[in-house]
Amino acid sequence: MVASTVSAHAATEISYWLWDTNQLPAYKACAAEFQKQNPDITVKITQTAWSDYWTGISTGFVSGSAPDVFTDHLARYPEFALNEQLVDLAPLIKQDKVDTGIYVGELFKLWSKEGKQYGLPKDWDTIAIFYNKDMMKAAGVDPATLANLDWNPKDGGSYQQLIAKLSIDAAGKDGTSAGFDPKKVKQYGLVMPGNPDAYGQSEWSHFAVSNGFKFNDGLWASKFYYDDPKLAETFKWIVDAGKKGFIIPAKDCNENNAPGLFAAGKGATILHGSWMINWYKENCKFEVGIAPLAKGTDGRKSMFNGLADSIWMGSKHKPEAWKWVKFLGSPEAQKIVASYAVVFPAVRQDVDTAKEAFAKKGMDVSPFVEEGTDPKVTFLFPVTDHASDVVRIMQAAIDRIMLSGADPTSTLKSANQEVNALFQ
Amino acid sequence: MNTSETASNPWGHRIGLAVLIILAIVSLLPIWIAVKTAFTDTGAIYTSASALLPKDATLFNFQRVLGLANPADPRLAKSGLGKIDFLRALLNSLIFTTMVVVPQIFFSAMAAFAFARLKFPGRNLIFFLFITATMIPGAVLFIPNFILMKELGWLNTFQGMAAPYALMTPFSIFFLRQMFLGTPAELEEAAHIDGAGILTIFFKIMLPLHTGSLATLTILTSIAMWNEFFWPFLIGRDPAVQVMAVAINSFRTQSAAGTPDWTGLMACTVLGIIPVALLLIFFGRKVVESIQFSGGK
Repeated sequence: MVASTVSAHAATEISYWLWDTNQLPAYKACAAEFQKQNPDITVKITQTAWSDYWTGISTGFVSGSAPDVFTDHLARYPEFALNEQLVDLAPLIKQDKVDTGIYVGELFKLWSKEGKQYGLPKDWDTIAIFYNKDMMKAAGVDPATLANLDWNPKDGGSYQQLIAKLSIDAAGKDGTSAGFDPKKVKQYGLVMPGNPDAYGQSEWSHFAVSNGFKFNDGLWASKFYYDDPKLAETFKWIVDAGKKGFIIPAKDCNENNAPGLFAAGKGATILHGSWMINWYKENCKFEVGIAPLAKGTDGRKSMFNGLADSIWMGSKHKPEAWKWVKFLGSPEAQKIVASYAVVFPAVRQDVDTAKEAFAKKGMDVSPFVEEGTDPKVTFLFPVTDHASDVVRIMQAAIDRIMLSGADPTSTLKSANQEVNALFQ
Repeated sequence: MNTSETASNPWGHRIGLAVLIILAIVSLLPIWIAVKTAFTDTGAIYTSASALLPKDATLFNFQRVLGLANPADPRLAKSGLGKIDFLRALLNSLIFTTMVVVPQIFFSAMAAFAFARLKFPGRNLIFFLFITATMIPGAVLFIPNFILMKELGWLNTFQGMAAPYALMTPFSIFFLRQMFLGTPAELEEAAHIDGAGILTIFFKIMLPLHTGSLATLTILTSIAMWNEFFWPFLIGRDPAVQVMAVAINSFRTQSAAGTPDWTGLMACTVLGIIPVALLLIFFGRKVVESIQFSGGK
């Protein structure tokens, strides 16, 4: 007699990659919940260091060993999409009637091109001012005034007044007094969080855009406006403020050491993204406060960026992969991630969960939340084709301006021509 | 140096000593900073970066990179700490070094013996080809070798990492050939007359005669292979086969926030330096003498 076996088919295993060690516990918790709801699917999570992550993904595409689902990035996915390595989620979204209106701002749009959808948004980040509370107090600045700073490229507005006051030279004079020596500064008003690059996410984009500059005409545009005089005057202000001794010299700052410089007390404020909240909390021996960015002529502006999960075209388990991506894009999963207080979830209703989780850790992150959820403040990361070439060209130009004293107007003009030629 | 020399030029002697001391400090200070940072508590690095002694000295960094820390330790929950299984990486380096050095010395010795002592048609032509092979920049060979490893299915395996080096390197053959040429041929001729075959001569006469240079070559090759980075980086990315240098590179970007986990990174670096440092401390003089000797040829 043949024993009839109810075929409990072996669980399908899908592989999921991410690079952020801090988010690993959150996603492991999501996987546990997902597996409870889908007992025939197991999710194998692999965390790879940032520098190996993208080479691993690209090599995986070629050698056929890429993960089924992976955390994707706005600067990389256009190329993957062009090479047809990502599954278009639009038909799946339509088929399963997934509600795409639950995400903050235009995050969903960031991940679509020509009607195709390449990821479901999972989190967002934006930029604000981190400051050293002790130094603020010592300078006699009332933290309540930080919410209303204004900035302009001519005299820097009240923002420049602030960083001048917070810059102290070896003789104890601050930047607003007459005898301030820019060559012997022991505490700088502002630390730039790294080498400014083509997008200036933390360093210059908010200044420039609040001044009226725009990168291009929208997502997937084929023309940049780096030659806009409003951008040149922004850079001119940054270089001049540096010469005045209010900003740490560009040659001493890169993304590896800038947070460390702030933690070591070399600067009173640093402009940085919400992904750094926990790092500053844990590595600074002093209390760290968060303030919103200064307002330019166009108001307050902050670059809005967000990650999403994409499905590899070569995945052998696409239906299961879609179930996992759909789960990760859902309010339920993002509430779990939000409660770990590492990132802000893309689903609007879960943002407050993150805010409370951060508050429990002692960080008031309301400036980030207010900026991130205000459509008048956020502007999108400029997603385009040829991203790596744009970065290469603009990095060289901006390095010349910041490190070699080149004239911003002419340098940006010729760089912009080169960039636009890529799209010809 | 004798006393009359010092007496006639004491200033020259003192200046020489001062220069040597300065050079010693300049060379050793970076290593000391690395060691000091490795022993510093992670929370204290930013405030004590310019101190010469570790602040809040602790062994915790070594414990956590080697995977010996208690997973429930609250210190491990801090953001900015990178994750790494460095013990595995050190083990992998040990396996990789052994897999390369043992066959390489053995086969290079045999090849060197053939070039030095055996007469066969085309010997000089083949040796000439070896000379030209050393002139090819290593970087040119990476892509063809990578494609070969991919075809063989040896990506992310030990044999894939060891393959280009395991048989020989031109330097090893050169070095040993020089050594073998330096010995008088009479010993072998005598053995030959007594009826010894080539293999007997090789194993019973040549090798025992040159244990010194073989040892030197082994040490030099081991140090080079222990520190090898680029080829294992191309081939062995998977944490299960990552060697020490590749693991350190990967660890550099492992902490999420963008700034490296400095104390952990320095702990890994110090652990990576220790074997080479020990080797050089115990065998350094011998190595220098051997190189001097071959140079004098």
